[in-house]
Amino acid sequence: MDILQSLMHGFSIFFTPYNLWMAVIGCFFGTLVGILPGLGPSATIALLLPFTFGMDATPAMIMITSIYYGSKFGGSTTSILINVPGEGASVVTTFDGYKMALQGRAGSALGISAIGSFIGGFVGTIALIFVAVPLADFSLKFGPAEYFSLILMGMLTIVFVGGKSIAKSLMSGVLGLALGVVGTDVVQGAPRFVYGVPELMDGINFVVVVMGVFGIGEVLVSAEEFMKMDSIKVPFNKLWPTLKDLADSTGAMLRGTAIGFFVGALPGAGSTIASFLSYGVEKSVAKHPERFGEGAIEGVAAPETANNAACSGAMAPLLALGIPGSGATAVMLGALMMYGLKPGPMLFHTSPDFVWALIASMFVGNVILLIMNLPMVPLFSLSLRVSYSILYPIIILICVIGVYSLSTNVFDVWVMLLFGVAGYFMKKYDISGAPLIIGLVLGPIMEHSLYRALALGQGRISVFVTRPISAVLLGIALVMTIAVCFKTVKMMRTQIGEEER
Amino acid sequence: MKRADRIFALISLALSCWLVIESLNYDYTTDYTPGPGFLPFWLGICLCLLSLFLLFDSIRRRDAKEEGKEVKMPAGKALLRLGLILLITAGLVFFMMKIGFVLAAFVFIALILIVLEKYSIVKGVLYSIVLSGALFLIFRYWLNVDLPKGWCGL
Repeated sequence: MDILQSLMHGFSIFFTPYNLWMAVIGCFFGTLVGILPGLGPSATIALLLPFTFGMDATPAMIMITSIYYGSKFGGSTTSILINVPGEGASVVTTFDGYKMALQGRAGSALGISAIGSFIGGFVGTIALIFVAVPLADFSLKFGPAEYFSLILMGMLTIVFVGGKSIAKSLMSGVLGLALGVVGTDVVQGAPRFVYGVPELMDGINFVVVVMGVFGIGEVLVSAEEFMKMDSIKVPFNKLWPTLKDLADSTGAMLRGTAIGFFVGALPGAGSTIASFLSYGVEKSVAKHPERFGEGAIEGVAAPETANNAACSGAMAPLLALGIPGSGATAVMLGALMMYGLKPGPMLFHTSPDFVWALIASMFVGNVILLIMNLPMVPLFSLSLRVSYSILYPIIILICVIGVYSLSTNVFDVWVMLLFGVAGYFMKKYDISGAPLIIGLVLGPIMEHSLYRALALGQGRISVFVTRPISAVLLGIALVMTIAVCFKTVKMMRTQIGEEER
Repeated sequence: MKRADRIFALISLALSCWLVIESLNYDYTTDYTPGPGFLPFWLGICLCLLSLFLLFDSIRRRDAKEEGKEVKMPAGKALLRLGLILLITAGLVFFMMKIGFVLAAFVFIALILIVLEKYSIVKGVLYSIVLSGALFLIFRYWLNVDLPKGWCGL
């Protein structure tokens, strides 16, 4: 089946009223959480997971994926209207977006950001097809050794590229892997780190950790201080950018799409880095870079396009290789497993109906988001008036019931509260939660691949370097590690030198 | 951040030691493959090395570089607020198994709104009835979740 035929097949599966409804709900909630500061996409996906427990994999993942890219659409709204980014990828939009709003051009900024997000998401999804399909075909050559090396390389990339402090991110990843070893071990089927607690026999469910770290943890951080938001009001009829705005933004949007997609496809880089990078590129190619920071429309168009294109890019390694690049995609990977799918190199071949329907939904979802966002931004911004004091008890209740409903067991809820406290301190002390979740989700798969590879290689560790693809992947991981160590030692030497002087 | 890093490093160091010691209770190898103790052992070693690095780095780092970066531990009103949120949530989890979800959720929201957020009693109770009722209907009848039951089967 060629690509176009597969895509058409995907559309035919997607276009049922139920799937369409799930996409609309996902887009709605995605936009809403993008707008509300203090609740990121990882937490929202985790919060809405319980609503999908009874569903089939396809509608459930359609909803979850549309929350993911929908949040990037909504993220710009608060950046522009109240100078508070709804999520990390919209931080850079505050630089020019809020200035535009102060100059009375909030409508243009919101309009351009919606159009840019649409172009980034739509073109990014086309690019996703052309990258993911060959990648999936190539990954058919992967055995357990290659998969182990790929996970190792992916995890190191996520830590080296994404984290603020490499040591703390690595520790977070190792702790995630350590949590993954709790439960029945994959070799002998015997209980490991269970200590006679029957609830731990199946291991620690990732939903429990995600809800704790991202849900309860974020609530505790936000609820510690009162949040009061005064938004700049935008009339409905002023949301359309002028033709000049559109003409000025075209180049920025095209460059933003390309940068966003490629950065997004790299594990760990993600939409925040993509938006900063595209802003930097726009500033450097601009004839009058001094306009940036003073309300330049390109300064809104480029990052908003890039962060949506990055979402499509991030779906490529997730669908074709089973490697998540961020906390949100790790939750999506965990969800895939929860619905009984086997993410990894074989997903395109074992579940083509699911994969193509999901890709088809991304095209439709972006159109839904454009329709929702362009005329309805003033309505969405009304949600900022809902007091956080009403919102956070609801979030806590959804976390409690969501986790309880996993196995109708209160033990999981206590564990979630424990991770909630840990999540609070992690957020407070700048320890990234994404590597922890990625480690927990990928850990058991990595361990299984390691054992299978060694069993196939009759116990010889050389199996990882004699197979060419595995050797290349490990080589990349090694080069990255050496580069990071070198940089760290150099930094330390410089600091010591400064102190001695 | 130095102090926070040091505390995190020490907690991780303790965890890593525990991980290594506990992993020795499991087989390190089987016939051809590593045993169940292999991965936890090496994860413990990695965590130990990283913790030592972070500890060393946090001691070595210059104070001048730290200005403005120190994270404040919650204290005073903020600490009380956090403590109360956690206490009320723990109460919710404990009592929902005894008095049922609806009543526990109602009391939980009412306590948060009236005690913590200083809503008037009437407003707090009204919001609690609406919100706990809506959540009950959504989870029980739309999503078919088997919620903890208490008196009157609710």
